[in-house]
Amino acid sequence: MAERTIRLKIKRQAGPEAEARWEEFEVPYHAGMNVISAMMEIALRPVTKEGTATTPVVYDSNCLEEICGSCAMVINGRARMACSALIDKLDQPVKIEPLTKFPVVRDLAVDRGVLFENLKKLKAWIPLDGTYDLGTGPRMGQKVQEERYPLSNCISCTCCMEACPQFNDKTNFVGAAAISQVALFNDHPTGAMLKEERLRALMGDGGVHECGYAQNCVEVCPKGIPLTRSISRVAGQVMIQSIKDLFGT
Amino acid sequence: MATSVSAAADREETSSASKIKPGVAPLRVGQGHDFLLRRLHSLSGIVPVGAFLLEHILISNSTAMSGPAAYAVQVKFLGGLPLVFYLELFGIWLPIAFHGLYGFFIWYRGDANLIHYPWTGNWMYTMQRWTGLIAFAYIVVHVYTLRFTGVDLHDNPAASFGKVQQELSNRSYLIFYVVGLVAACWHLAYGIWLFLCKWGIVTGEKARRRVLGLSLGLFVLMTVVGLASIRSFVKHPRMPVAGATMEQLSK
Repeated sequence: MAERTIRLKIKRQAGPEAEARWEEFEVPYHAGMNVISAMMEIALRPVTKEGTATTPVVYDSNCLEEICGSCAMVINGRARMACSALIDKLDQPVKIEPLTKFPVVRDLAVDRGVLFENLKKLKAWIPLDGTYDLGTGPRMGQKVQEERYPLSNCISCTCCMEACPQFNDKTNFVGAAAISQVALFNDHPTGAMLKEERLRALMGDGGVHECGYAQNCVEVCPKGIPLTRSISRVAGQVMIQSIKDLFGT
Repeated sequence: MATSVSAAADREETSSASKIKPGVAPLRVGQGHDFLLRRLHSLSGIVPVGAFLLEHILISNSTAMSGPAAYAVQVKFLGGLPLVFYLELFGIWLPIAFHGLYGFFIWYRGDANLIHYPWTGNWMYTMQRWTGLIAFAYIVVHVYTLRFTGVDLHDNPAASFGKVQQELSNRSYLIFYVVGLVAACWHLAYGIWLFLCKWGIVTGEKARRRVLGLSLGLFVLMTVVGLASIRSFVKHPRMPVAGATMEQLSK
């Protein structure tokens, strides 16, 4: 009996400065397999469809259950998590490319450091450290918890930034994920202490105003985070802050 | 937070391995005026440009449906407003020029990706740019032909109906007027929705859908009234342009 196989077409790049090239693979099929397990098959036998020996494909991955955010890549033209991209639901050959808005390190591994830089610039944390014990913080009501919980699900996969027409090196837009974290931390009773600083940061070039409301971010988000709601809410807060600053400073 | 750090320095910070190409730079905290410009662009589309378009289509143009005399009275009223030239300059021309030209700059800075992400919101994003282009091109031609060439309608309001008819008697012009009208109406109607979302006035899913419905309703209303007004010019017997007087019209 002929073994059932699947076809993959992967964009390879040996290093940050190397030329990109396409390689095609044919690997054995297993029930329920996903893009990551297909690439594990390639690692077992790194030979292209034409029979040429090659290297195993390099990619970031960790949890394989859509919770760590590592394995985002462009699969059949769309940014998504490779671990939850089931082969049974994809057209073949499955076209796999690295995220296009981030510098390629090698093959499908990209440098997504810009999100971390942006989270730092937006102080996306809750300030708890002091020179003495600050004690317990204020309690949070059920309503606030329910508003915040979906936002806390962000896995920093950067799919929202990849799919955004405004996120590029002309606007240098901060992206939906970071703005949504501002909503998350501004809503926290202790996190709100840094609210004004976060909002003023978002008035800088590349801030919340660059959103063009194409709403691709919401569509691609693997965690179903209401990103456009976050953007609207934060944009309103930024607007109010800018008026306060205009008249109050 | 050091505010003097340039975008370039920020990029270097991000990719310490200098061989990796820079990619998108992090947020430039405390730098630039894009926030002000983008918000002014957004606001100018509503007030004064949008408000003017509403008046132009729903109030002034619709008087054409009541005939040449009513239309001439409205043109005479508008032309007789105090400091009318400055009203036009600061209330219409400059805001439209800013909104249009800065709009092209915003368009240039975005990378449309409809092919891979063909969703409604993304379609609207792209449509907003194309309808803006069509409306802007139309407005430039429209203002040039009706305001700056031929009989001056501020001096001769009685000639206005005939002048518009003259313009619309050219079939390709008529088509251009219809396309320009529909594009401008769409751009404003969806623009109002965008304004409400981008300024954080409407935030919830449900509210956004409801307001989108209202915006679409406004689009339909403006388009229908606009087209009906155009129809009045086309269907009415031709009125004189040269030597037309208000007394003639009121007969």
